[in-house]
Amino acid sequence: MLRFIARRFVSMIFVLFSISVLSFLIFFATPGVDPAARIAGRNADQQTLKAVRHDFGLDRPLPVRYALMMKKLFITRDLTSYVNRGAKVIPQVTQAAPVTLSLVFGAAVIWVIASIAMGMLAGVFRGTAIDTTVMIVGLIGISMPVFWLGEVVNLITQSRLHGSVFSWVPPLGYVPFTHSPWGWFKALLFPWLTLSILYIGIYARVLRSAIVEAQEEDYVRTARAKGLTERRVLFRHALRTSLIGFVSLFGLDFGALVGGGALLTEVVFGLHGVGKLTFDSLQNLDLPVILATVMYAAFFVVVANAVVDLVYAWLDPRVRRA
Amino acid sequence: MRNRKSLIALALVAVIGVVATGSSSARTTSHRGGTLKLLANAAGGTLDPQVNYTLQYWQLYQATYDGLLAFQKAGGSAAFNVVPDLASSYKTTNGGKSWVFTLRKGIKFSNGRPVTANDVVASFRRIFKVKSPTAGGFYNGIVGASKCLKTPATCTLAGGISGKGNTVTINLTAPDAEFKYKLAVPHASILPASAPPNDAGSTPIPGTGAYYFSSYDSNKQLVMKRNPYFHVWSQLAQPDGYPDQITQSFGLTVEAQVTAVENGQADWGYDFPPADRLNELGTKYAAQTHLTPLTAFWYAPMNVNIPPFTSLKARQAVNYAIDRNALIKIFGGPKLATPSCQVLPPGFPGNKPYCPYTKNPGATWSAPDVAKAKQLVNASGQKGAKVVVISANDEVQKAVGVYLASVLNEIGFKATAKAISGNIAFTYPQNTKNHVQINVAAVVPGLPAASDFLHILFGCESFHPGSDSSINMAGFCNKPINAQMNAALKLENTNFPKANAMWAKIDRQVTDQAPMATMFTPKHLDFVSKRVGNFVFSKQFYWLVDQSWVQ
Amino acid sequence: MSGAIVDEVLAPAGGDLAIAAAGPWQLARRRLLRNRVALVMAGLLAVIVALCLGAPLYAHHIAHTDPFRSNLDGTTIANGKRVPVMVQSTQGLGLGVTPIGPTWDVHHYFLGADGQGRDVAARLLYGGRNSLLIGTSAALITCFLAVLVGVVAGFFGGLVDGILSRLLDVVWAFPVYLLAISLSTVLIARGFSLGPLHLTSGSLLLPITIIGLVYIPYVARPIRGEVLSLRRREFVEAAIGLGASNWRLLWSDILPNVVTTAIVLFPLMLAIDMLTEAALSFLSIGVQEPKASWGSIILDGQDLLYTRPAVALAPGIAIALTVLALNVLGDGIRDALDPRAKLRKTKDD
Repeated sequence: MLRFIARRFVSMIFVLFSISVLSFLIFFATPGVDPAARIAGRNADQQTLKAVRHDFGLDRPLPVRYALMMKKLFITRDLTSYVNRGAKVIPQVTQAAPVTLSLVFGAAVIWVIASIAMGMLAGVFRGTAIDTTVMIVGLIGISMPVFWLGEVVNLITQSRLHGSVFSWVPPLGYVPFTHSPWGWFKALLFPWLTLSILYIGIYARVLRSAIVEAQEEDYVRTARAKGLTERRVLFRHALRTSLIGFVSLFGLDFGALVGGGALLTEVVFGLHGVGKLTFDSLQNLDLPVILATVMYAAFFVVVANAVVDLVYAWLDPRVRRA
Repeated sequence: MRNRKSLIALALVAVIGVVATGSSSARTTSHRGGTLKLLANAAGGTLDPQVNYTLQYWQLYQATYDGLLAFQKAGGSAAFNVVPDLASSYKTTNGGKSWVFTLRKGIKFSNGRPVTANDVVASFRRIFKVKSPTAGGFYNGIVGASKCLKTPATCTLAGGISGKGNTVTINLTAPDAEFKYKLAVPHASILPASAPPNDAGSTPIPGTGAYYFSSYDSNKQLVMKRNPYFHVWSQLAQPDGYPDQITQSFGLTVEAQVTAVENGQADWGYDFPPADRLNELGTKYAAQTHLTPLTAFWYAPMNVNIPPFTSLKARQAVNYAIDRNALIKIFGGPKLATPSCQVLPPGFPGNKPYCPYTKNPGATWSAPDVAKAKQLVNASGQKGAKVVVISANDEVQKAVGVYLASVLNEIGFKATAKAISGNIAFTYPQNTKNHVQINVAAVVPGLPAASDFLHILFGCESFHPGSDSSINMAGFCNKPINAQMNAALKLENTNFPKANAMWAKIDRQVTDQAPMATMFTPKHLDFVSKRVGNFVFSKQFYWLVDQSWVQ
Repeated sequence: MSGAIVDEVLAPAGGDLAIAAAGPWQLARRRLLRNRVALVMAGLLAVIVALCLGAPLYAHHIAHTDPFRSNLDGTTIANGKRVPVMVQSTQGLGLGVTPIGPTWDVHHYFLGADGQGRDVAARLLYGGRNSLLIGTSAALITCFLAVLVGVVAGFFGGLVDGILSRLLDVVWAFPVYLLAISLSTVLIARGFSLGPLHLTSGSLLLPITIIGLVYIPYVARPIRGEVLSLRRREFVEAAIGLGASNWRLLWSDILPNVVTTAIVLFPLMLAIDMLTEAALSFLSIGVQEPKASWGSIILDGQDLLYTRPAVALAPGIAIALTVLALNVLGDGIRDALDPRAKLRKTKDD
């Protein structure tokens, strides 16, 4: 187990390093992103431009620039933005993290519970009208682009029906839990629902097909032959194996979301999370913030992958022996 | 009887007198207080007034910083008047080469320290130390400036500026009629000598204005509070403000901003409302919507150095073909913009209406002439050329770009439209290395002077190949016209009206050479919440936020 | 339920015995053809594809419109009257220009106009071609490469698995939007040639490759997991015991199962890819104007959401229907390919 963790740690460093280098190279390979002119200001003098480039170390060779930026990001931790000068990057990320975590955890709770319920319903009543209805409802959820859905939700809750049914919906934005738990909940309710709709559909389907498959597995039939009730068969045996595929996908998706994958949801609902920070930095071509958010996201993805592999081994004894 | 009557009359007069004098302060005190809540999609960058070059923060600097001179804080064209601010008076000597200012006494920064001549001198040196964008453009006429531009860190402006007691003297290498404007922009704000010698970024610097920046988080919001050390020394230059606090919060999309203001959750949004809300604003919320004509310039520079727009005929064809009414529709309709063919906007010093690119050439534009455009394209030999139209990816610019591509296709080119991030959309087309053929641009002048449009945008001195800072995007360098521009600049020192007449002639010549396709002159739309009162719009720095009340 | 076990253990009904003689693919086909819901959805899909392919026909001969040309000053016929396509507001301050809404007349702006005065219905059909093309091509790239990577990683294990899994991690954590923005900006002025491929800024190959590559880990991981567990199964161990070579194992034992998984995942990937294309268009790094895709039309409609929601709703509904059809069809395919279908007793038999 310890060797496993050590190996994963090494590979995590490798992944983070590759991503940082790649992002850095991509950024500077893009024409027009040289921040000097934007930093110097509109119609800056050529001498001013030269001085700014020197100040920001933009006239040094690429590897030196990369090393300096990494040093500022990880060692001295005082990396500042190209666009909002003087604003330190790391505090921006740490302040944005709780917002994203609140959004993703809440949505995950909703989608896990809903998809398990729907998936089991559809799997048990396979072939009936219940199965078809549940699947179609889930499919509709998968089919809608999340930013579009969010705008429509806003249209209804903030504008069209804001005077009547949805007058309790607070203005767009995040309310910290420490300020007001009830306000936090109200502000996040619709973002949670919007974000989870996409995933409910996918996970219900995955669970359903896994349950259906597992129901035919030998060990399930053995359980049935042993005289176990269908309910026990389902929960203890079929569900456990079905969870493997479920957990695998969940790990990937949850990891990606926590790292800032829900950026379009955050943008549409005005939540200052890591996703929005990523989106803004991409639009602004603000390399320091881009690097910080990309590394942050990559970190979570890699950690999530490692955790998933661990759980995978625990859930399916067959793999453990592999 | 008579005595009592006259006593009552006297008493009445006294009461009326008290009420009359009391009511003027009662008028301001009755609306004083509250928090004005502003919104913006994104922060505007650094808070340092000597570095920031965005309208978003220049609008706020009106209330927080002062220069030796200031643009009058008033509505309409009075806003272009330059009035004494931290200097109570000034005079020019030595043929206009020396400017002598007398500082007012008793003014304090928001940190409690008094304003001294030392602070003034330090502030001018700081313009170069922080590498202000206009250090080379506006202030290179100060003696010692060229040395400062070379080695900014040790800038002393020796011979250029000196201060003693409450007198400050600035010496120029040559007379400059526009210098008074340059002293009134935020880059020439007077800051404490203790301000950091480099871009202060998100750390607020103390100022002399009616308000000061109490905090700034570029991801959340900016907060301005009343300056406790402020008193009114000039109603024209820096009046007292109504709200006790002004905040600008970042992050909401434009749609969300409009909804928030409609719901009364905020008072105003910085970004232009999206097309599908305009009708709503104009009907349901008409009383809260303010339209003000601007002296701004929406145009499409055409790169004269790479095909197909190396050909004059091709450039003229584009000008004939674009339907400026259609473009105005994209912008929101004729109530929000007026068509234009030339460089200087209407009402601007030096403007004489002129439009050759219309069905009936004359003073104004009436209709496109597509047939003539097609002829010109055929004659230019550039028919079938591939063209990419670059624009920013906000709603209006993107739509303009798509329309332009459609027009180019109609007259014989093969065009596509590409929208790029708004953050690079202004600098990307400037660099000749990017081979941008045509793009969409909108320019607001920094100074109310014709040179800010013609010389800055189309002068040879503004063209720097291979640099991101080459604001002459068309790469237009016409020697005879350039010579006239320099002559007009010189003439401004002695005879402003004659200089303006020269600028009008230059405007015609540049328009005839068509290094750009001018589209329209926009109006500015401000949508405020119901509770906002006393809306005053300065043409120089836009809505005077602190002159409106919220209660 | 115990009765079912007895049924399964005993020989199935006579009809099934006759079918049992046929090969697995024929069986699958017959099962699929008996699945009425899946057939309906396949039909719906065929209709959608046919409509999209017929876009030029619709635009030229029925609607008489050029959906790629801005038409801000145009007029059309609605309710028998000639009306402008872009209607200027005349009430109040007279601000805003609103495009015409749906006329429900196939010859004149069936779904109304967009912000440039173009016919939304015609653009919807042309956009469908691009969306379907991008989605299908990307999904094909993903599934093909994911099977390759997943099988190699799962089968050979050890160092190969380690390297491939880390590469998958890098791809999954990769800043896709940064790459897409950068690539599309780089390619504006100059194209990029690699042999027969010529990439310019507006090329569809750009979103196809980006979307195709970025989802490989999503499919490769489950496939790798399946290969891992298959390797330990009895029939594989038996084959190894019999002295079968790696290639034989891969070809006859591992691949058929894995391909089944890939086939089932394909429609799901198509759905996700079409949605990702919409997201890329949202960042203006997908299909380039004046070309259309369902995603870019949603972006156009976003600015008109409050007054002309049809412009955003139509492509959203189109995506939903297509994805629905694909997934139900995918379910049907999965059910048909299930190897234990012979023994299964369901209501459909």
